[in-house]
Amino acid sequence: MGKVLEVIRVSKRFLGLQALKEVSLHLEEGEILAVIGPNGAGKSTLLNLLSGLLRPDSGRILFQGQDITHLPPEARTHLGLGRAFQIVQPLPELTVRENLLVGARFGKPQVRQKEAEAWVEEVLRLTGLERRAEALAGELTLLEDKRLELARALATRPRVLLLDEVMAGLRPKEAEEAVALVRRIRDAGVSILFIEHLMPVVRALADRVVVLDYGEVIAEGTYQKVAQDQRVREAYLGRGA
Amino acid sequence: MKGFGHPTLILLFLLFFALLPYLPLGIWRAFLLDVGFFVLLFTALALSWDLVARTGQLSLAHGAFFGLGAYGAGLLAPQVGTLPALCLGALAAGAGALVLGWVTLRLHGLYFAMASLAFSEVLRTLALKLPFTGGPIGLPVLPPFGGNWPLAAYYLGFSVLLLATALSLWAERSPFRLAQAATRQSEAVARVLGVQVVRVKLWSLFLGSVVAGLAGGVYGMKTLFLSPYDAFSLARAVEALVIPIFGGLYTTLGPLLGGVALVSLEQALRLWIQEGYLVVYGAILILVILFLPRGLVGVLGRHRG
Amino acid sequence: MELLLQTLLNGLLMSGIYALVATGLALSLGVVGIVNFAHGEFLMMGAFLSYLLFAFRGVDPLLSLGLAFLAAFLVGGLAYQGLIRPVLKAPELNQMLLTFGLAILLQNLALLLFGADTRVVAPPYQATTLSLGPFFLGAVPLGAFLLSLAILLLLQVFLTRSRLGLAMRAVAQNRLAPGLLGIEAERVYLLAFGLAAALAGVAGVMLSVMLYASPTVGFTFTLKSFAIVALAGLGNLKGVVPASFVLALAEALVSTYLPGGGGLVEAVFFLVLFLALVGRAWREA
Repeated sequence: MGKVLEVIRVSKRFLGLQALKEVSLHLEEGEILAVIGPNGAGKSTLLNLLSGLLRPDSGRILFQGQDITHLPPEARTHLGLGRAFQIVQPLPELTVRENLLVGARFGKPQVRQKEAEAWVEEVLRLTGLERRAEALAGELTLLEDKRLELARALATRPRVLLLDEVMAGLRPKEAEEAVALVRRIRDAGVSILFIEHLMPVVRALADRVVVLDYGEVIAEGTYQKVAQDQRVREAYLGRGA
Repeated sequence: MKGFGHPTLILLFLLFFALLPYLPLGIWRAFLLDVGFFVLLFTALALSWDLVARTGQLSLAHGAFFGLGAYGAGLLAPQVGTLPALCLGALAAGAGALVLGWVTLRLHGLYFAMASLAFSEVLRTLALKLPFTGGPIGLPVLPPFGGNWPLAAYYLGFSVLLLATALSLWAERSPFRLAQAATRQSEAVARVLGVQVVRVKLWSLFLGSVVAGLAGGVYGMKTLFLSPYDAFSLARAVEALVIPIFGGLYTTLGPLLGGVALVSLEQALRLWIQEGYLVVYGAILILVILFLPRGLVGVLGRHRG
Repeated sequence: MELLLQTLLNGLLMSGIYALVATGLALSLGVVGIVNFAHGEFLMMGAFLSYLLFAFRGVDPLLSLGLAFLAAFLVGGLAYQGLIRPVLKAPELNQMLLTFGLAILLQNLALLLFGADTRVVAPPYQATTLSLGPFFLGAVPLGAFLLSLAILLLLQVFLTRSRLGLAMRAVAQNRLAPGLLGIEAERVYLLAFGLAAALAGVAGVMLSVMLYASPTVGFTFTLKSFAIVALAGLGNLKGVVPASFVLALAEALVSTYLPGGGGLVEAVFFLVLFLALVGRAWREA
């Protein structure tokens, strides 16, 4: 219990564009939180700020009470904040297993080789990638790519996992399996913050939803509550986004 | 870790070069030992470049590291003796590498290459202009160990290659390989997976530069003379990268094969064809790239980096 | 003060050639995506073409300009078809090695055929100078500068107004993975590479009159072009001209004010380049 991730009045500007404006939100331990919003709302920027690939202009980010606003990405991973990318970026010249091994070995300080290899086996099993373990990551199908992305993040043994539109491009059956997988991960003790466009997925997975529009938080609550919020409807439908 | 690098072949290489001075070489002995020496040094240099390239840093500064080591060792040898001078020269190269590496952390690809080239050129000019380096006239260098052992330079060169090979093999067979590969293939992904990219890049550059510096130091002690255009040569910096590409990138065996092949090829061509031998050299480079995209190592079977 | 202005003027005039060659490189780099170490060799070929035509046929270099453009375009196109196209799918380092091998081959072929001596092309108007108040402008450097500007302007028009030019820019913005090439893209690559070579070839003719033709001049210009492109920023075609000016200016200033000469000129430029690259990177953080 307690807030495992906190974003406190974070702002980010790119040249002329205010991508995020005084955004505050939090993630409870054991929770699955969805961050939704029309295109350009600032969701990916938020994720980049959380994982450390960008720094905010103002505001703070706390992870399990610790201020991580200025920590580099690798340090955040070591603390337990993991991330899966939207545009899948496999390490193409390494095998699937080796991709996971990078995460398992370096995701936490002082992991021994045997430990890392054992954990990689676990993750391969969990994400259904065992049969492709020796394939080169650059030669995977889209579905396998997405599984790899998730698996790699898992390999770093996160306590909080940031997912970036991992369902995009999946067929309904595949999406169902993915949803089940995410639930299993949460049940294993990982808190999850995910960005998503597909409402059925949000409805199925999210305990709570935060809605962004033009870089600001415009609504927060359960899926039902948020779906009926007037401002949210306008943001999605009113501008034909 | 799986068995990469064809260890038997590598061992045979090293053994061959260790024993070369004692083989029955007849009238070719002096020439072959000379060629052998340069093969040793430039292969070591090539390995040191490959070590750095594995992190995605394409260095054109290896000429500078070579030169720093050469001048460092050459200048200090009269005071401290051969081996300490070589070490100090190598450390000078390492220091230069750390400065360059730190400052260029955010530069990639062509930008990094250009910055490293600029670094090298500026250092060469310093070597030309600073009072204690002998300027354009050059710097005479003492032979190793007071000249008492004629094969000293050769075996020093061999030791440098040994060190380079050992470092390269270690990097290939330890978890460091994954750290380097991840850094090279995507820094953002590597960081998010917990790889300390800054450390990986700086360490690789440091180790590579130290080996290059040692090679430079030994070079000076063999040629007994250093000039800025020779020690900080761009041609040598380029050769340092041509060899690994030719032989097989991101491996230990690749630069070894490539070094032996290219350096001896160049010497042989120079002997047989004389005028215009470089035309043939250039043609061979082109043909190999067109028909052996993975380099010489590709002929031996699939390799991953 | 006068000396300073005269120096700046000399630098400005020289920058035309640099801009031509560097723009060519930027085209092949940006559109075709190839790191071409043999780029400067097209300049060398243009210079020798000008020399040969002048020395053996009495052809005025002004005519050779056009001939060099066509010849270099042709050679560039052939080089693209035969050597570059096969390696477009290969790793970047392989491409670099191929073009490097080509550079060595061409440079040493020239050495073999012509020897290492520099050959000057000296038409009757070579030494003519014009005076502008207290300043002197060489007629040839001035002509070269103006011509370079004109060519670059034409190129700009081509890139923004013509269909092929727009196609080139589109390809540069969004280079498709090799393998997805349509016939249209193939033509664009060929055209871009040929054009790059042609620009260098023309610059070579100019150089043969302003300086000399020599087998080794190619690689020097390749290096300088890369430095200029890096200074301007990859993909920033418009930035090539100011960057060329910076190089030419640095060279002019150093050769006038620092008679220490040899090597210092390049060192100053590289120092500027280094600081610019590093400064830009840290600023973008």
